[in-house]
Amino acid sequence: MNIPADLHYTKDHEWVRLNGFTARIGITDYAQDALGDVVFVNLPRIGLDVLVGESFGEVESTKSVSEIYGPLAGKVIAVNTTLDETPQLMNSDPYGEGWLCEIEIGDVSTAELLLSDVQYRALIGD
Amino acid sequence: MVPFGGWEMPLSYGQGTVAEHLKCRSDAVVFDVSHLGTVRVSGAAAKENLQRAFTNDLDKITPGRAQYTHLLDSDASVLDDIIVWWIDEETFDVMPNASNTSIVIEAISGHDTTESRAVLAVQGPCARQRVQKLSDEASEVPRFGVRRINIFGTQCVVAGTGYTGEDGIEIAAPVEIAEKIFDALLAAGVTPAGLGARDTLRLEAGLPLHGHELGAGITPLHAGLGWVVAWNKGDFRGRAALFAVRDSGPHRMLVGISTSGRRPPREGCSVTHSGHKIGITTSGNFSPTLDHGIAFAFVDPDHVEPGTAVEIDVRGTDLQGLVVTTPFVMKRSG
Repeated sequence: MNIPADLHYTKDHEWVRLNGFTARIGITDYAQDALGDVVFVNLPRIGLDVLVGESFGEVESTKSVSEIYGPLAGKVIAVNTTLDETPQLMNSDPYGEGWLCEIEIGDVSTAELLLSDVQYRALIGD
Repeated sequence: MVPFGGWEMPLSYGQGTVAEHLKCRSDAVVFDVSHLGTVRVSGAAAKENLQRAFTNDLDKITPGRAQYTHLLDSDASVLDDIIVWWIDEETFDVMPNASNTSIVIEAISGHDTTESRAVLAVQGPCARQRVQKLSDEASEVPRFGVRRINIFGTQCVVAGTGYTGEDGIEIAAPVEIAEKIFDALLAAGVTPAGLGARDTLRLEAGLPLHGHELGAGITPLHAGLGWVVAWNKGDFRGRAALFAVRDSGPHRMLVGISTSGRRPPREGCSVTHSGHKIGITTSGNFSPTLDHGIAFAFVDPDHVEPGTAVEIDVRGTDLQGLVVTTPFVMKRSG
């Protein structure tokens, strides 16, 4: 399982790249492997308020649908619209071209709830 | 690996469902469908036994051919949809769905040979060409033909049948050589494919799945499969009740619906027309060949015209759809 050390993670198998007061979010290698071929991504709309642990989007594969849960409290400021035409990027490049969206962090204390790569690795038993 | 009808089966192999699906439409894949039942029915009374049990008419074919048929309940519900391989004059291999094998055995007696053989389905425009590397004879079994063929010196039964809409064959081999045949197929360039691709392929091909498009309360007429019924061959189980449905007309009909966009419709979704609920979906998924969603649905008979605009409610979001003729994807070869 690919679990980059320079990212943070959630128990819902999302990764977070923190960059000052913004964060870029996606699903982990573990998540894309479990999902199978992603065929549709329900991207959140720009401006949407994100709450920790609340669903704000969906990723759908041939076999199932997975909710995306807010990893941080904030507001959506950008979405990866290439996923509209090529959702399979979430499988082939989950940490790069397959990124989901970017959030302006409203409450930086929520970043402390995120897992390190070591903690996430332990969570998935890697 | 996932549990399926009492068996453990792969959802996909290394490349994933979509890649396996596309490989079937462009090249050749192999499915291990050993979970399907095989009931051997033999003897002088075998043919008559099957004529009385199933809807279709074996007199339309001859030994050495396969036929798709239904087993009905006394109320004309489809208990199972079945392929019969007529091997020789007094020998039939009846192939029920995995979960319905015991129901079929009850209806026809016969000898359950499921555990002694494996069934490998090789499907795709290049299937025969690749199978030729193992066996010329197997690669030449005609569409819907059934032949006894020796592969690696062991007698197998090979049929020109499948569940993908593509050309191909199915090999029923004794378990002792199954792995050798599977390995030889992979070495010949056939891609292994799992349950995920099996379902997306059969959906594109407009083929019904028992438990979804067929089952309790669903007759062949509701499912648009009237051609499976031989009205004039004499009595068969469920015939009287089926005549009643034919006379009154089915109260709902199976249609194909194409939806716009990539979001897949799923089974159990409401189908509406101008705000009124007209039906419910039975199967749905993303079509890798067409790049949009497709579904089967039972709808009221006033809305079955191809071109009818409908909506499918997928978890609270309305997908725009159109009633279309099936198959959604036409066969490329065979």
